[in-house]
Amino acid sequence: MPIEFKKNRAIFRDEVSVEEAEALLEWLQTKPTAKVDLSACSHLHTANLQVLMTAKAGISSWPKNAELRAWLEPALKSVD
Amino acid sequence: MSPLPPNPLLEQFLSEARDLLEATGNKLMQLEDAPNDPGILNELFRCVHTLKGNSGLFTFPEMTRVLHAGEDLLGMVRSGNAVYSRELADRLLDAMDYVGLLCGEIEATENIDASRALESQHIAEALRKLMPSLMPNQGVIAANGSNGVASMVANAQTPLADDPFTVLPQLAGIPEGARKSVLAQCRQADLLHWIAYRPQRECFFHGDDPLNSARQTPGLMWGRVLAPEPLPPLDELDTYSCLLGFDLLTNAPREELDQYYRYLPDQVEITAVPALWLVNGKAEVNVPGKASSTANPARSRSQDDQAAFNTVLAAQRQILLLDDRPAWHAGRLKAVAGVLANLSQGVGDTSARIDIRAALAEALSTGHNTLLLAWLDAWLAAHDIVKAEAIFPRMPGTDGDFAPAEAEATADAGPAPESDAGRVPAEDGIKFGRRAEDSLTGPRSLKVDQTKIDRLMNLIGELVVSKNALPYLAERAESQFGVRELSREIKGQYSIINRIADEMQDAIMQVRMMAVSFVFQRFPRLVRDTSRKLGKEVQLVLEGEQTEADKNIIESLADPLMHIVRNSLDHGLETPEVRLAAGKPAIGKLTIRAAQEADRVVIEIVDDGKGIDPAVIKQKAYEKGIIDEATLERIGDQEAINLIFAAGLSTAAVVSDLSGRGVGMDVVRSAVEKINGAVVIESELGKGTTIRISLPLSMAVTQVMVIESDGQLFGVPMDHVVETVRVPKDSIHTIKQSQTAVLRGRIVPLKSLNALLGIAAIPRSNSDDELAVLLVQAGALELGLLVDGFQETMGVIQKPFNGLLSGLSAYSGSALMGDGSVLMILNIREIV
Repeated sequence: MPIEFKKNRAIFRDEVSVEEAEALLEWLQTKPTAKVDLSACSHLHTANLQVLMTAKAGISSWPKNAELRAWLEPALKSVD
Repeated sequence: MSPLPPNPLLEQFLSEARDLLEATGNKLMQLEDAPNDPGILNELFRCVHTLKGNSGLFTFPEMTRVLHAGEDLLGMVRSGNAVYSRELADRLLDAMDYVGLLCGEIEATENIDASRALESQHIAEALRKLMPSLMPNQGVIAANGSNGVASMVANAQTPLADDPFTVLPQLAGIPEGARKSVLAQCRQADLLHWIAYRPQRECFFHGDDPLNSARQTPGLMWGRVLAPEPLPPLDELDTYSCLLGFDLLTNAPREELDQYYRYLPDQVEITAVPALWLVNGKAEVNVPGKASSTANPARSRSQDDQAAFNTVLAAQRQILLLDDRPAWHAGRLKAVAGVLANLSQGVGDTSARIDIRAALAEALSTGHNTLLLAWLDAWLAAHDIVKAEAIFPRMPGTDGDFAPAEAEATADAGPAPESDAGRVPAEDGIKFGRRAEDSLTGPRSLKVDQTKIDRLMNLIGELVVSKNALPYLAERAESQFGVRELSREIKGQYSIINRIADEMQDAIMQVRMMAVSFVFQRFPRLVRDTSRKLGKEVQLVLEGEQTEADKNIIESLADPLMHIVRNSLDHGLETPEVRLAAGKPAIGKLTIRAAQEADRVVIEIVDDGKGIDPAVIKQKAYEKGIIDEATLERIGDQEAINLIFAAGLSTAAVVSDLSGRGVGMDVVRSAVEKINGAVVIESELGKGTTIRISLPLSMAVTQVMVIESDGQLFGVPMDHVVETVRVPKDSIHTIKQSQTAVLRGRIVPLKSLNALLGIAAIPRSNSDDELAVLLVQAGALELGLLVDGFQETMGVIQKPFNGLLSGLSAYSGSALMGDGSVLMILNIREIV
């Protein structure tokens, strides 16, 4: 699983595909305070990003991939 | 032989595309006369639909896009949602011309230049504009998108229409750190590109991942994710509808970007941005105090910048001075105003914008430029800028990248006719270099009805025959009239005509040639399915697929080959277990090989299976009454193997649905013989079987040997002729009622051709009392025909008998001889 759902934390790994978006949305809808760990993520499909932005999900750690982080950090912070 | 096109599929597509385009054009014309004919409309729709579907097989998004729009439009016309009109037909014809143009481009380069993407986009949009109610298409979304961006940017005001400078305020949205790092990467003279990428909402369903596309953009220097429209509450979010957009800044060249985004030209807006703008862009729009060194950019501008600045100003002034009033006058004024506004902002005069807007409004309402011009002159004076005119008395060459608006204006600077203003915008459509009637690029391949080729074939046949009359004429000129000179000249002319006729015949045959791959291509699937069904593992090897032969030959080869392959799979190749036990690799090998040998095509079907056991065949043949007991004792192994071609013999113990009904091999043989072919089989028990089919390259010309008997001439196909010998009368022995002779140590039965044909004459012998014997082979039987004499061998065009004569089985047909006489071709198999 590219996304591992813990109690109150979703851990993204490697490439997260469009198929994960629906599950992610449902999970975030039930857990508004959940945090997302992106550190091991190398790419996430736009659909997932969109869910994270809409949910204004808190990010517990940013991707180690600096280039991806440069994309995500402004996008996910700007919706705060 | 013409070299095979590099990509037959593409070739096929192009040939079909041309047909369909032509049909589309015709249907559109027909529709003009009968606009309400549903039949024509349906056909038209189908043409475009097929063409679109075909184009989708290749990576020609430009073509598919235009066709798709055309198909949608026709779909609406068909369902009555749109009305057929002249204009609609014009648009569609234009679009089809464009597709034709793309076809030409593909033919020349096997590719469509990426720069076509935008063109095709325009054409598709023009088509979609004709649809009455706009479906939520890309155009609308794109428009919303750019508005959304504008409203996102803090200090931006409503952008002036068609103003390439609108990205300027957006550049201000680049965070300071990113801006600096971008600047550090490029020199001031560099041309960057700003890309506003607004994916379609349904793009996820097309397999797009816009974030990935954005990340992979060539030459990417900076980018950001944004939501053009406010995101909905979490509960209402549709995961599969893309709501995000991207702004990107790249230093890749335009062509590369066009290529990269060629599938989504409607979703990206690419604007050229000089790196220079990045320097000023920040300072002017945002908090001035922050970058103190550039607080007054006018002062800090380098000399180059100043020159560029002056150039642009001069250009604007020049445009305002133009006194023509083309249809796009309003757009021109807006463009000038936009440029001026941005320029004034660039030198720190933020209040100027309001004046410009007022002047623009005035100019637009009155149609006069004076107010704008006056403002410009006043502003120039106020800012101590040398009057542009003084430095640039004439308009310098404009740089299209820098200010497209003025390029357009200058290009059309000549006095445009007044009537232009009243033109219908639809007519002002997109023209793309050339129209269909400008250059008729003929397709490289033709589809020709086979009967036409057959007619050519017949005509060349007649030509060959009548050309053969010339040597006779030469002969007569010499012997009968004694004019030797003339005879020689006729012979000289003959050799020329002969050469041309030969070449012509060859050329016509080429037209009918087809590669055996036409037949071979079905085998991979057949072998796969059959071997799976039989639980066998078979590796199929096809060789010489490019070998060519006459179309009829190739076509009639299909069924026999299929029989043989099935037989090999069923009877020849063993199951993996059996093979392993016999010390052979588990996977059986079936090779189908085609090659050209002289004027014949040889096809071999080789398997490494269990081979044919002659003993089993002999026994079976005996049981079925095909051979008698004496033959059973006598025949050799090779002859026994050939018995499998006899009717009613099946070697398989069990009749399966694949083969084994005993109708296989004899059908093969008769089918092959029908086209003057021969089939032989070689087999080694335990090692495998080889079946070799030899076919003439073409059925058109048959080589025959002309023989004479009782004063008449007959033709015997060379396939049957083994040799010609003269046998002394006294070495012919009569055993019972039949005559025989010993030839090369073998006893050969002799028969008189006269007797066989029912002619009451005895074979004539020559002065040495020898009889002419034509040794022929009919199937397994070898026989000597007693004839009166031999003449030359010649190529003839054999014509089958029609009508009453077709019942004559002794002859396979007739042919015309050079001197005009008819040559009867003997059917050896029938008469012996």
